[in-house]
Amino acid sequence: MMRGMTDPFDAWRLVGDLQVTLDVDVLIGAFPDRDGPAGDPAAVAATLGAHRIATGAAANLRAALFDMRSGNDEMLATGAPFVPVAVADLRDPIGAARELERVAERGARAVRLFPDEQGVEAGFPSVRHVAKKAVALGLTVLTGGDVRRFWRPFAGLGATVVFLDTHFYHLGDFIVAALDEPGFHTSTRLLNSPDALETVAAHVGADRLLYGSRAPHYEPLVPLLRLATGGLDAEQVAAVAGGTARRLLG
Amino acid sequence: MIIDVHAHWGPWFFTMDVARASVATMDRYGIDVSIVSATEAVIYDAPAGNRALAGVLDGQRLFGHVTVNPRRLADGERDLREYLPTGRFVGVKIHTDYTGSPLTSPQMREALTMVAPFGCPALVHTWGPSVLDLAQACLDIPGLRAIAGHMGADGHRFAIEAARSCDRLYLEPCWSHAPAGRIAQVVAGVDTRQLLFGTDSTLIDPASAFGAVAAAGLTREAKARIAWENAAALFTVDNDVLAAWNVSKQP
Repeated sequence: MMRGMTDPFDAWRLVGDLQVTLDVDVLIGAFPDRDGPAGDPAAVAATLGAHRIATGAAANLRAALFDMRSGNDEMLATGAPFVPVAVADLRDPIGAARELERVAERGARAVRLFPDEQGVEAGFPSVRHVAKKAVALGLTVLTGGDVRRFWRPFAGLGATVVFLDTHFYHLGDFIVAALDEPGFHTSTRLLNSPDALETVAAHVGADRLLYGSRAPHYEPLVPLLRLATGGLDAEQVAAVAGGTARRLLG
Repeated sequence: MIIDVHAHWGPWFFTMDVARASVATMDRYGIDVSIVSATEAVIYDAPAGNRALAGVLDGQRLFGHVTVNPRRLADGERDLREYLPTGRFVGVKIHTDYTGSPLTSPQMREALTMVAPFGCPALVHTWGPSVLDLAQACLDIPGLRAIAGHMGADGHRFAIEAARSCDRLYLEPCWSHAPAGRIAQVVAGVDTRQLLFGTDSTLIDPASAFGAVAAAGLTREAKARIAWENAAALFTVDNDVLAAWNVSKQP
């Protein structure tokens, strides 16, 4: 006998009227080494729309995995609902610095780094070199990688950084690094312990949190649900759901 | 109605303070019943954690897993004999990493062999291809019914293969990551009678597993099976307990 016929997994009832004005972690393109969506812009835009995400700060996987210049040009030419984010290939620090100058001249406000996908460790000279170049150009950095290691190449530069892979296991490391670095921020994608968002807000402020989904390769509903059901107040939620991202990315 | 077959009670060593979180979180997500293991039992001292948990279970919303450390089988057998008859403990929890006991280890095989005659399901931590080893254990050990905790996490394709090889292996999905399509692929590849719902709460907020399942576009029938029907059929509970869950077993 079944108790009730209502949907036991009605997530939208919990999400309520929450809307994301800018998602800091969106990808265009596919990963050739894994199954998953093709990531064409129209489909990604549809995914965002289905989750009430108005705009996405999007980087191009062609740029991340194969060719910075053509991939970045594709991204810069893509219009709404995307805010284009340039990519610097850490496997080529000389070319990356040159590419950052080029995309900054074309209006890019942020650069995304893919150290894990590119096999680059935090201690490689390339990372520090690109970090310095991004700061010099006034670019916000969106970076993957383990925050326990990737905080270091950005420390002491006055950099504005969003760590996209911060896992709640490593939340304490992010917080103590962020206490010394006012420009350090984190995506909420993997902060899905019961009190991670609230803990960041209490220690360094909710304005260090940015909603990030990694659509279409991750389920946007999960961080959306966590943000909607957490303990942040309405003003804090609005900041996480895009207010802070708009300030950082323009 | 939702039955969470993979939940916890007690503190964690990470930067978090969730020791008291449980029923309020369950209510938020419509989780009627959680089957929890004591974090102390899983991480450090199984008998001490089981003992502490016994004082918390209410037999209404919170039921328990008896945690067994494969390296302390005598303790585990004693705890099973003591706690399962209470009716408040309805399953067994065995962690591989915290006990240094991979699924292929002799002590894990001995633990699963010891547990099987007790008749309750064993929730075992699985990651990557290790879920295939759990399926093999089910095939090798008569009567063993096992739940692959995390259904292999990033190894969900191995979990599909594992579940298809043995109908006494069940999968539950909790993971802190939610790659797109993971749940839908498993549901498409496995008999939905072998699927359960778990959250890993209070380590992970239910948002993760709940949201991943919600996003999978499942049929009403599949949702009901995952949410509670399969769990109600799997766990050996008496009529009074079922009444507390406000359900009865499927014919």
